[in-house]
Amino acid sequence: MDGFEAIIGVNPWTALFTLLNMLITFYILKKLLFGPVKKMIDERKAEVDDAYAKADQARQEASELQDKYNRLMDGAKAERDGIIREAVSRAEKREAEIISEAKASAADIRAKAQSDIRQEKKKALNEVKNQISGISLEIAGKVCEKEIDGDKYQSLVDEFISNIGEAS
Amino acid sequence: MNGPKIYFTIPILGGIPITSTTVSSFVVMLIICTAAFILGRNPQKRPGTRQALAEKFVEWMYSLVEDTMGKHNSYWTPYIAALFLSSILGTYIGMTGFLRAATSDLSTTVTWALMTSVLCWACSIRENGFLGWLKGFADPVPVMLPMNIVSEIAQPVSMAFRHFGNIMGGGVLMSLLYSALSTTSAAVIGLIKGSSLAVEIAVIAVGAALLAYGFVKNKLVGKIFGVLLGLLGLAALLETLGVMTGMPVLALGIPGVLSIYFDIFSGLVQALVFSLLTMVYVGNACPPHETENNINKQ
Repeated sequence: MDGFEAIIGVNPWTALFTLLNMLITFYILKKLLFGPVKKMIDERKAEVDDAYAKADQARQEASELQDKYNRLMDGAKAERDGIIREAVSRAEKREAEIISEAKASAADIRAKAQSDIRQEKKKALNEVKNQISGISLEIAGKVCEKEIDGDKYQSLVDEFISNIGEAS
Repeated sequence: MNGPKIYFTIPILGGIPITSTTVSSFVVMLIICTAAFILGRNPQKRPGTRQALAEKFVEWMYSLVEDTMGKHNSYWTPYIAALFLSSILGTYIGMTGFLRAATSDLSTTVTWALMTSVLCWACSIRENGFLGWLKGFADPVPVMLPMNIVSEIAQPVSMAFRHFGNIMGGGVLMSLLYSALSTTSAAVIGLIKGSSLAVEIAVIAVGAALLAYGFVKNKLVGKIFGVLLGLLGLAALLETLGVMTGMPVLALGIPGVLSIYFDIFSGLVQALVFSLLTMVYVGNACPPHETENNINKQ
């Protein structure tokens, strides 16, 4: 209880204590509050930035992948279309070939058959002619009661028959 | 109003006085350190309420310092925060009633102002060297030498007296108001007591009626005057009966309104002004480096 200091005056001891208190306050604030909290804020900021960067990168990669996939799909589509077109054209060609081959072979077969028919007809005609000439010679021989020399009259008979054939 | 009270003197080195300022500033330091310990303990990546509060404050201080002093001076933030908190709490602690505001002692503000000046000089010496700092006093022309010296001295003096004067003035005004109100209430109570007992009871009754009116109609004015009149009558009655004397009834509530300005607002403004001035002075003494400047320009 020593009374009071002057209202306006500086006490060096009080000033010293104030200085020490201020230094301690500064040190404690820095060590216990500003240091750790600022560090945590900065770390979190860095983490968030990192996360954003990673997300951006992932998005870019995804879009690249999508582009690639789209390109691949387009290529596959084009290839498929090409294959189908080629197959179709090949099939059409083959169809035409088969048809023309069939037509050709049908024509061949028909031609051969016609020639066969003609030949057979000729052969049959000739045979008929021969038989007719033989029969007529026999008839003539029986009529004449004598042997007609086949060789001598054969040409005459043949001529006669062919004249009949032409007339009929 | 007196100066800081000397509680006791440590009898060494010619007597070290322990004044109310010493105690107040010690208590403030303890409060700030405890708060810093509690708020800054074990910070997590995902903050809780406590850490969100701490981060809000820390970021606010950093942005304040970086806006005023530039990004390169952000390492000054803890010191500015210590100054700001010590100043504002050193003022507000005076409102507790049993501790005196540490900032209404010139010893405190002079110390802080001198710390600012010493930091400025240290920055200048670090930037320009000792001779460069001395040469700075003769800028821009040697004729300015005495002016520069005076301004260098005036800077801490003005800072110290501005802060001290505002808080001290507020305190003086508040104590004047308190004594004026207690004198007035003594006079009013004497007036009521000087009349008859019936007047005292009548005053109490009017006060009670006003209070009831205020509550029924929800009127603040009715409540206030009801309480004041009722208490005045009651104090006069008690004095007549000799139970207790000298009740400063009028000092109830009225000083609180003025305290909002003189203690709370003034304390906040002075703390801000002091830390802002410190930031400006130290920031001027620590300009951005050339390389940083170039980087910033690019």
